[in-house]
Amino acid sequence: MLKEFQTFGRDLFLAGLNSSHSGNLSVRCGDRVFITRRGAMLGHLMERDIIETGLHKNDGNIVLASTEIRVHRAIYKETAALAIVHAHPVHAIALSLLEEEIIPLDSEGAYLLHKIPVLSAEHTIGSQELEEKLPGLLKEYKIVMVRGHGSFATGQLLEEAYQWTSSLENICRIIHITRTLKGALKDKRPDEYKEW
Amino acid sequence: MGFGGWFGKMLRVNLSTGVITEKKIEKKVLSDWIGGRGLGAWTIAGEVPADCDPLGEENKLVFATGPLTGAGVPGAGRFCTSAKSPLTGTILDTDAGGRWGVRLKKSGYDILIIEGASSEPVYLTISEGKASLHEAAKLWGAGVYETNDRLKDILGHDTSVACIGPAGENLVKFASVINDGHYTGRGGLGAVMGAKKLKAVTTQGSRKVEIANKEKLDFMLYEAGKWLKANPITSQGLPEFGTPVLVSLFNELGVFPTRNFQDSQYPGVANISGETIAEHMTTGRKSCYGCPVQCARLLKTKTGTILGPEYESIWALGPECGIGDLDTIIEANHLCNQLGLDAVSTGVTIGCAMELAEKGIFNTGLSFGDTTGLLQAIKQIAYREGSGNLLAEGSRRLAERCGSGQYAMQVKGLELTAYDPRGLQGMGLGLATSNQGGCRLPAYMAGPETLGVPKMVDRFSTRGKAGLTINQQNISAAVDSLIACGFVNLAVSEEYFTRILSAVTGVDYQTQDLHRTGERIWNLERLYNLRAGFDRSCDTLPPRLLEEPIQEGPSSGKVVELKPMLEEYYRFRGWNESGVPAPEKLRELRLEDFKC
Repeated sequence: MLKEFQTFGRDLFLAGLNSSHSGNLSVRCGDRVFITRRGAMLGHLMERDIIETGLHKNDGNIVLASTEIRVHRAIYKETAALAIVHAHPVHAIALSLLEEEIIPLDSEGAYLLHKIPVLSAEHTIGSQELEEKLPGLLKEYKIVMVRGHGSFATGQLLEEAYQWTSSLENICRIIHITRTLKGALKDKRPDEYKEW
Repeated sequence: MGFGGWFGKMLRVNLSTGVITEKKIEKKVLSDWIGGRGLGAWTIAGEVPADCDPLGEENKLVFATGPLTGAGVPGAGRFCTSAKSPLTGTILDTDAGGRWGVRLKKSGYDILIIEGASSEPVYLTISEGKASLHEAAKLWGAGVYETNDRLKDILGHDTSVACIGPAGENLVKFASVINDGHYTGRGGLGAVMGAKKLKAVTTQGSRKVEIANKEKLDFMLYEAGKWLKANPITSQGLPEFGTPVLVSLFNELGVFPTRNFQDSQYPGVANISGETIAEHMTTGRKSCYGCPVQCARLLKTKTGTILGPEYESIWALGPECGIGDLDTIIEANHLCNQLGLDAVSTGVTIGCAMELAEKGIFNTGLSFGDTTGLLQAIKQIAYREGSGNLLAEGSRRLAERCGSGQYAMQVKGLELTAYDPRGLQGMGLGLATSNQGGCRLPAYMAGPETLGVPKMVDRFSTRGKAGLTINQQNISAAVDSLIACGFVNLAVSEEYFTRILSAVTGVDYQTQDLHRTGERIWNLERLYNLRAGFDRSCDTLPPRLLEEPIQEGPSSGKVVELKPMLEEYYRFRGWNESGVPAPEKLRELRLEDFKC
């Protein structure tokens, strides 16, 4: 398990999807959750950085767990997710400050994600508000942006949640680059994606 | 947006009294259980005593369509048959393609329940909302193809026929029900039909299945179609080779059981592979209703053009019995189809008999590699002649009768399929915990463990397999309720099916609703089995797979490490250490009324 955390933690950092100490990862094993330590550097995870705690009950390890533990737990309780990646992809964060939802312009992004909802919250870090609002959206979408904060992606494996995170940032980079270029789009996504 | 997908009607036929009734199905029941396997489980758990004799009058046979049946969705022209299995004693469902289910649906019924038993052979016709019973003495004894042809001659070629062969009539514990060359094969539901003296059920129908939101459905089918066309499994592998495409792949991985699971690779696999069949024998393709994948093969043989064997049949009637002669395998498969036998259980039971003979425990005259013996044994099983009478009870009863139960490659009495779980740990857990025994369909862990669906995982590792297996089991139960094809599901994920389901029915489903519905179905089946006497001790695998490492090949040295996975599985499911769902889990799933 450590190897997987290390692989995807490092990739997230190297791909610019997280800054040095931001973001967190977790996996669910039955009624236990393994989550990265609060303040861990995802690019340099070690054994001590993976914290095991209960899905339903706290134990002593809770003091070491990521600040987003309550959000991760809420997602696991309400969905069939077995892994969660929380990241801070910069283009996606920038776009989330302008949009109500992110509709991919590119084919790959449209195939994979169709639409990414943007959730607005007053308190965006480890908050009860996110705990209440995020799981509902993740019942329907693979990844959700929290406005101005970051992404939460779910999957059956860390690799899957990582893929959605990576795809989201690619989608947002393409939107960003396209908007800086002059000219009208030759190809528009169908309006049905807004209803996805 | 209206309410579509379902007609909201069930047809109930009591064979003891001859009374046929129609009844409305509440919308809440339909939206909660969806159709197919879900409605089947709901009916069996609610109406069939768990301690009843599966071949007695109390058992019921449920044919259920789903909201997508006949709605023009690729891979969804299916129906599901459920009952208490005479082979396993568990609740069991098995689904099939073809056109029979679509015609039942288009006749105006979502579900058909057969109860009681007739004193004389009969067949049931259902046409455009009208059902009637007919005397079938002249059909009794006829093979599947003959029955099919004779009934179509009488009723017209726009009729579909689901029937049993001699095996079902003779109550062979693994007799199947066949329609349009498709099989509800596993668990002996053909014997349940035979015990009820029901030779066939025919369907005809032309009613339109209403679609609540046609525009949304068209868009979703367009989107799902992109995946079907893009994914090499559904756009190239299955259309070109059919399911036999898996023969070489699984043999190379060392998970292709041979000689009753004594070995895990077959040396002569090139002679029986999908590639060989495609190159030398395939003359055409055949599809289920409205499916672009067209995975069924038509083969040219010495006796004419016949439907080719699937991956599992090639294995069961071939390497599992130490046989690598393709002509024999095709003939044996055709014979199973003609006589109405499940080819998988037939092959594995014969393989078991071959090993018992090899070890000097019980001599039926069968030995590994004996092609003549194989063909003869199939006929003897169907007619319960000679040692075929004992083999007709399945591998578990055969081996236990000889005091050597360990040589039966089965779970809960159902013979295992063509995957050696020693090289696929998650598959091992899925088989051990399956509510219907040794079938790979309730949790196709070969998806993540070999095909990379949804992602490739380490097939030898046990870590994280409990959660993955549970998700596969839950989503399979839901997909089997729509009903959609598992192959299509390899390319089109549940988020598409959820939206397709919403568009067809007008009920607003979310992806997690499908997971939750699947979990409810799984737990209901579990409760029924607990009531029927299946406990934690039944969630296991044959000792060979737990104790004898694979000797050679890429999976050598492996056994199934079941215990740690099983403990995590129970915790994950919210079941206690005995495998009983906790009261809070039952409340959460709204199953408090179904006691175990």
